[in-house]
Amino acid sequence: MSGEASALRFALRRLRRGWRSGELLILLLALLIAVSASGTVRLFAERVRLALNEGSSEALGADLVISSNRPLPEHLRESARAAQLRSAEVLQLSSVVFAAEVSSLASIKAVSADYPLRGTLRLAALPYAPAQDAKGPPQGAAYVDAKLWQDLQLQAGGEVAVGELKLRVAGVIENEPDRGNGFSDLAPRLMMNRADLDASGLLGPGSRADYRLYLAGAREAIARLVPAQPEHGLRYTQPQDARRELRGVVQRAGQLLDLAVLAAMLLAAAAVAQAARQYGEKQREEIALLKCLGASRAFITRALLLQLLLLGLAAGACGALLAAAGQSALAALLQSSLQLALPPVSLQPLLGAVALGLLMLLGFAAPPLLSARNTPVLRVLQRAAESPGAQRLSLLLALATAALLLWLATGDAQLALRVALGTALTLGVLALLAWLLVRALQPLRRGGRRGFALRFGLANLARRRGATVAQATGLGIGLLALLLVSVVREDLLDSWRNKLPADAPNQFLINIQPEQREALQAFFASHGLGTVKLWPMARGRLVALNGKPVDVESFDDPQTRAWINREFNLSWTDVIGSDNVVTQGQWWGEAGRGQAWLSAEEYAIERLHLKLGDTLTLDFSGETQTFTVHNFRKVDWGSFKPNFFLLAPEDAVGEAVPRQYIASFYLPAARRALLRELVAQFPNISVLDIDAALRQVRGLITQVLRALEFVLLFTLASGLALLLAAVEATRGQRQRETALLRTLGASRVQILAALMAEYALLGLLAGAVAAIAAQSLAWLLAVQLLDIPYGPRPLLWLLGMLAGALLVMALGWLSLRGSLRTAPRQVLAG
Amino acid sequence: MSSDRQAVVARHLAKEVSSGTQTLTILHDVSLSLPAGESLAIVGASGSGKTTLLSLLAGLDRATRGQVLLDGVDLGTLDEDGCARLRAGRVGFVFQSFQLLAGFTALENVMLPAELAGYADAPARARLALDSVGLSARLEHYPAQLSGGEQQRVALARAFCGEPAILFADEPTGNLDTETGARISELLFDLNHQRGTTLVLVTHDAQLAGRCTHQLRLRAGRVI
Ligand SMILES: Nc1ncnc2c1ncn2[C@@H]1O[C@H](COP(=O)(O)OP(=O)(O)O)[C@@H](O)[C@H]1O
Ligand SMILES: [Mg+2]
Repeated sequence: MSGEASALRFALRRLRRGWRSGELLILLLALLIAVSASGTVRLFAERVRLALNEGSSEALGADLVISSNRPLPEHLRESARAAQLRSAEVLQLSSVVFAAEVSSLASIKAVSADYPLRGTLRLAALPYAPAQDAKGPPQGAAYVDAKLWQDLQLQAGGEVAVGELKLRVAGVIENEPDRGNGFSDLAPRLMMNRADLDASGLLGPGSRADYRLYLAGAREAIARLVPAQPEHGLRYTQPQDARRELRGVVQRAGQLLDLAVLAAMLLAAAAVAQAARQYGEKQREEIALLKCLGASRAFITRALLLQLLLLGLAAGACGALLAAAGQSALAALLQSSLQLALPPVSLQPLLGAVALGLLMLLGFAAPPLLSARNTPVLRVLQRAAESPGAQRLSLLLALATAALLLWLATGDAQLALRVALGTALTLGVLALLAWLLVRALQPLRRGGRRGFALRFGLANLARRRGATVAQATGLGIGLLALLLVSVVREDLLDSWRNKLPADAPNQFLINIQPEQREALQAFFASHGLGTVKLWPMARGRLVALNGKPVDVESFDDPQTRAWINREFNLSWTDVIGSDNVVTQGQWWGEAGRGQAWLSAEEYAIERLHLKLGDTLTLDFSGETQTFTVHNFRKVDWGSFKPNFFLLAPEDAVGEAVPRQYIASFYLPAARRALLRELVAQFPNISVLDIDAALRQVRGLITQVLRALEFVLLFTLASGLALLLAAVEATRGQRQRETALLRTLGASRVQILAALMAEYALLGLLAGAVAAIAAQSLAWLLAVQLLDIPYGPRPLLWLLGMLAGALLVMALGWLSLRGSLRTAPRQVLAG
Repeated sequence: MSSDRQAVVARHLAKEVSSGTQTLTILHDVSLSLPAGESLAIVGASGSGKTTLLSLLAGLDRATRGQVLLDGVDLGTLDEDGCARLRAGRVGFVFQSFQLLAGFTALENVMLPAELAGYADAPARARLALDSVGLSARLEHYPAQLSGGEQQRVALARAFCGEPAILFADEPTGNLDTETGARISELLFDLNHQRGTTLVLVTHDAQLAGRCTHQLRLRAGRVI
């Protein structure tokens, strides 16, 4: 018992001393960064993920949509009410609508007044005129889209007949948030009030309608409402299922955020480990003395661990406070930029952060610190008595802790394992590189007449080869973080942003007839829009799969049933766009001409459970043709270019099959009126405006970038802490050497020059190591995660080495400035 | 507890160190025995193996061959922790370079061994010990605020605070000027007489060696 008490007393005294002498500063700093980073960032990342989901909620018009082809059971509405969710009713059906003498088949959407719950409905007075935000139409009014306006030759203030009802046309829909990218629902739109629908008589017996309940509210409440196994005939759609092109962005954004958080934590952990090892080193003499005075290993263990625990609690408390402050700052920042109401700072994640800090101490700080226990007691009599190193065990423990941390932080065991292994690999490669570079410096030492400074620096680096490699690796990681955060970030994120350049096509033309192609190109040329690319397309119904006849009833999955119900769009080409990647089989190129082959996109593969070699028989309005699946494709739907689930080679689709063309092009907002002219000249062509969808994706990307920028600040801080810790590692030794050199008559200027030369060399080494790693990591990120091309960046190398030299020199100067001023006697006596 | 009990016994002690492929014998076949309450001076030129022998006798290092009995206990049968337990309370040390903990006050330094031995009255003992070396006014001072002689007095107080049966001292006056050194050795022998401690002393100082009841002279790792 008194052993415990005196271990605690010893630990307290030791900490007091460490605090006074400043040797605890880096350890505390690293811990503080680790705790506050994980506290702030974890919560922050969670919130951003929420905001991103919110962004995709806009694309759904709700947080959850329950749909069915029969009226929805009342209990759904009741449980939504009980969960205090906002709701809107939407009913969709097809019908012919009339205006005076003209009629058109329209997709009618009857909505309650609250529609939409998420996102905005944009309404204009005339087609392609400036639009404003709106809610669902009031009773007696109808909104139509530009296509229906055109088809019905409507005038301002006109009327349309929907079934037995006459509705006043009160606006032209510019953007309907939940319409998707429009390909699935090509019929022109008429929107009316849900309450008018009964009077229209459209909902007679046998009418086919799609009944939907839109819901929005607290995430947990929504999650509770989604059953594991939906009731028969009900379909639940959540934002993440809604739009493929958004899903990609949200997923990537989430992964990027995860990686940034992980990087911050790993760097902080490395700094913690580094600082703890030094703190242990400084206690070695004392530990030898304690042992000599009769202290048991258990006592020393307790004393060391107690120091860590006390430190951890202190850093945890301060870190939690910082994290709370950080969260509030973020809340202020985000409320304006993400337009997301953030909940008040909650205690639980802060406690989590403190726990994380303690875990970090245990995994990263304890092993290197405890290795100081192995100091031989003989050291009280002989300073040289060295201790056996237990580095390998420390490393393994650190790696295991890192994996655990990553797992806790992301909840994704596989990702955690991959990142941990990747980190270990990176470390190994960095150390190897540093070793090779140190070896390469060797011959420089001998060559001829170099100044004292350079010789001294080279000699020092070479003499402590092991320490130099370790130090260069540590510095390299710190610099790597800085490089990734500064240069590569710009690079990568810019190219990500630029995947959707400002002039990305924002208009689609559908239903172009073959004989209209020339006239259309002439129209574009005359308006200075150049030529546009036309994609051919035939529409067919799937009638047999592998020779067996199929229809809707052959499939259980509601998504497949919905897809089968529509006609498949089949296009044909010799070349695939850069947004397509063949995942299985071979692309046919020109060699495929005339072959009855198919290339199937992931969606089609999943829906129909396709294998290579399967056959699909399609009925093109009476012309039946059978195709063999020749390869699989993955499409990046975020490219916003026309893409097809099914592609065939040129000339594969028979001459007799009716075909049409689609086109996409960029039209500046100011020239939107041109669309009116286009539709007037080509009345059968539908214009699909995806400008709003593009804006949505760009908005999401901007939000993600801002969030990343913030998270990267922590990564930056961790990187700097690691740099500082790595430079401090050799401070004691250098202080002694400096003192010795001064007693031997070296001037301060000479010593400073020698030290700076050494630090510059070390920084160059570390910078080179970091540049190599940054280059490879950037490439990996670009190709694997962001799907963008990335080549070598020579400037990065130069910058890395330069920044390395300057930073390490600056930090080294800071760390040794004091010892250059103190009298050598004091340093040597200690 | 007979008075002729042997406090320190060494039989055929040898120490070899290896550096790379070479093995160097730095201590050859040393045997000695020292009855409780008496004192032994180990003398010899620098590098003759005095510190090596002291570290083996005190259980700070392991002999390559031979046996050490400390207070009747065979050190060869103890592990590191066992040696530490034996030292706690029964063995005291004084070093040439004082070896005080820089972050601890004089009082804290002195009471450390008593604390480690689990004495509840460690602070009171420490005060007494500091009083007996004439430093009762400097309890709260840190080592850096004390002169070399004062630091060594603190170290003496620390050595005697745990009431050790055996005290090992490695050139306790080696870092001090003659006058201060003389005062320290005076203090050392006074305390030794008062408490009947067995003393093992490494020294260059012929006068200091002469005050010990036994002498052991080393040359190149052999007793002469
Ligand atoms: N660990 C060691 N490795 C190599 N040589 C050693 C080691 N320890 C001591 N020696 C050598 O053994 C000899 C005796 O050393 P030491 O006992 O310290 O001498 P003294 O204390 O008498 O001056 C010296 O020559 C010293 O260099
Ligand atoms: Mg010696």
